[in-house]
Amino acid sequence: MCAEKTRDSVSDPEVTTVVVMRLYVAGGAPNSVQAIANLEAICQEHLKPGYKLEIVDVFEHPLRALADGVVVTPSLTRLSPSPAVNVVGNLSDRSKVLLALGLEEKVK
Amino acid sequence: MNPDLCVSKEETARTDAEIAFADLIRRLVKGASELKAIDAGEIDAIIDPATGKAILLPKAQEVLLERKAHYRSLVELSSDGYWEQDEHYRFVSYRGTTIGTAGIGGGEGILGRTLWELSFDNMSEDEWQTHRRQLEWRSSFRDLSLREVGGDGAVRGISISGEPMFDAQGQFKGYCGTVRDTVKGMQAEAVMPEAGGFVRATLEALATPICVLDSTGTVIMTNQAWRVFAAANDGVGAGVSEGVSYLAACDAAFGDERADGVAMAAGIRQVIAGGREIFRHEYVCNAPAGRGHFVTTVTRLRGDGAAHAAVSCEDITALKHAEQLLRLKYTVARCLADADDTSAALQAVIRAVCEAQQWDCGRHFRLDPVAGMLHLDGSWGMPVAGVEQFLEKSRGAVFRPGAGLAGRVCQSGQPLWMSSGSKGARALQTALEHETGMAGAFVLPVIAEAETIGVLAFASRTVHEPDDRLLQAMRSIGRQLGRFLRRRQAEDTLRRSEARLRALIELSSDWTWEQDCDFRFTKVVGPGMAGAGDILGKALWELPTVVLSDDEWVKLKSELAARWSFCDFEYAVVRPDGQIGYYSISGEPVYDEAGAFTGFRGIGLDIARRKRAEIALHEAGL
Repeated sequence: MCAEKTRDSVSDPEVTTVVVMRLYVAGGAPNSVQAIANLEAICQEHLKPGYKLEIVDVFEHPLRALADGVVVTPSLTRLSPSPAVNVVGNLSDRSKVLLALGLEEKVK
Repeated sequence: MNPDLCVSKEETARTDAEIAFADLIRRLVKGASELKAIDAGEIDAIIDPATGKAILLPKAQEVLLERKAHYRSLVELSSDGYWEQDEHYRFVSYRGTTIGTAGIGGGEGILGRTLWELSFDNMSEDEWQTHRRQLEWRSSFRDLSLREVGGDGAVRGISISGEPMFDAQGQFKGYCGTVRDTVKGMQAEAVMPEAGGFVRATLEALATPICVLDSTGTVIMTNQAWRVFAAANDGVGAGVSEGVSYLAACDAAFGDERADGVAMAAGIRQVIAGGREIFRHEYVCNAPAGRGHFVTTVTRLRGDGAAHAAVSCEDITALKHAEQLLRLKYTVARCLADADDTSAALQAVIRAVCEAQQWDCGRHFRLDPVAGMLHLDGSWGMPVAGVEQFLEKSRGAVFRPGAGLAGRVCQSGQPLWMSSGSKGARALQTALEHETGMAGAFVLPVIAEAETIGVLAFASRTVHEPDDRLLQAMRSIGRQLGRFLRRRQAEDTLRRSEARLRALIELSSDWTWEQDCDFRFTKVVGPGMAGAGDILGKALWELPTVVLSDDEWVKLKSELAARWSFCDFEYAVVRPDGQIGYYSISGEPVYDEAGAFTGFRGIGLDIARRKRAEIALHEAGL
């Protein structure tokens, strides 16, 4: 599985840069499915409408994960804006994800 | 042994697996956050850099296995069987009853056999080759339809779908897939494709002209009868075929058909719009056999299809003619019942027949049984100069049996129809021209008690060839008229006889009288008993002026009570001037149709002159 979602827009004055992310998952494993759902919700709420998300299935593309230094899934990597940030787990800790994505201040 | 310390083999194995995974995790995962996530149970897999593969953690494995089982059960729910094949396409697993021992594909089990080793009737060798090539390419296949005709002749079928399986290394491991029993589907397919054909075939087989309209009133289907009908007849909708707007044809009707067209268009629109279920309209138009009566029925069609209304046309000409004949018979019966005299009855009957059957005129010739000749004694004709002249010339016409059209019919007792164009005997043609001067004639006998007592002759300037029903109806009318005439004849004879008898009675008596069952006078015709006053409502012995001895009264009363006829009963009446009158009465009892006694009736005579003479003789001692 390798899916990419793109929401490009600069019309929102609060979001001036596009957040590029990559989520590594293990097929339809429970935490992976939950991570996708959690991230989707966060993106819809806080990054709408400007973000890019790529979902990579490590069963299909394990080497990509290794190349990115990912050893466990689910694992979310913020690629842009730099520096790269990594969050592991099913992303149910919302504040942790927001912090990793640099959205905590905006939420506050 | 302390039960708390007892560990089962299963638990020990699980513990070993967990320990092995824990070692693996410790070896591969170094980051604190990753380890923390693993401890929190938020990690599904770890990636082994040595092998480059992702390894599912036990918890995730368990969930996926559960999910797989769940999916399998869903697959089973949505199909009739689930199967797996090895890399040589041999069945290694099968759950279901659709194929194999209990189903299609031969009576043996399927495990260890390939699909093409099973028994199917609809796959050729080429088709199997194609399927095998698909498998070699590791392509998924969908709904491969396989059929088999069983020993009982029943067709069984399955639809099989499959997809290749690969192991973790990407090595092809075989196929797995599902099976659906398509017998029901096949039956439905067998019906569904034919459903349209069935409807069409049924429609074509119907003798009634039918067309089907869509929502715009355009003809989307017709049957053979309709096509023939539309081509052969005039009238609204003539020539309307598939693709043509029937509504437009109705709207475009003109002339005599305008009213029919407007009515039918309105009816069709109402039916299509759902305002009414059925609409019927009768009309008359030219048909190959002449003017015909037709009825158009528009019926609403339900459903989601394009068809919104069915239009059927029926030729009701024969029905209308039958109705006309029935009406004619009724009219004739009424004419005969209402007529005051024979002449009026004859004229009314002839007129009714002429008007119903479009004859210009009709005549009745009565057979004089004594002279053996036919005499014209009744006629009716259209108020047209030519017809009136013809009837005028007919007055006084006399035929003898066997001569002329009327004479021939009188002699044969059979109806005769002639037209100037028919190939009849020359003599008849001549008679037709000579007698009627018209194009057609219809002559029928008037029969009473199997005896021809007259002839009805109808003529017309246009030819009306009678059909069997008309001939039958006219025969019936001839017999009806014959019975009437015979009855009238008998009534006339009786009436004349009664009149003669009455005249004789009047000549032989001075007055007649009638009494009720209590012997009271109810009717007196003639001068009656002078000096007796008003006798109506009184018995003879209640009249104070009547003089009679007690013995004689007793004798009269006893005779009356015994309801005997009595003759020349004599009595005296004292008149107001003191004179004595003498009377003689004779009477007989009267009974009604049921045999009940209703009184007496008789005659009376004034015998005063004779009585006085007798008294004088008596006084003279003679």
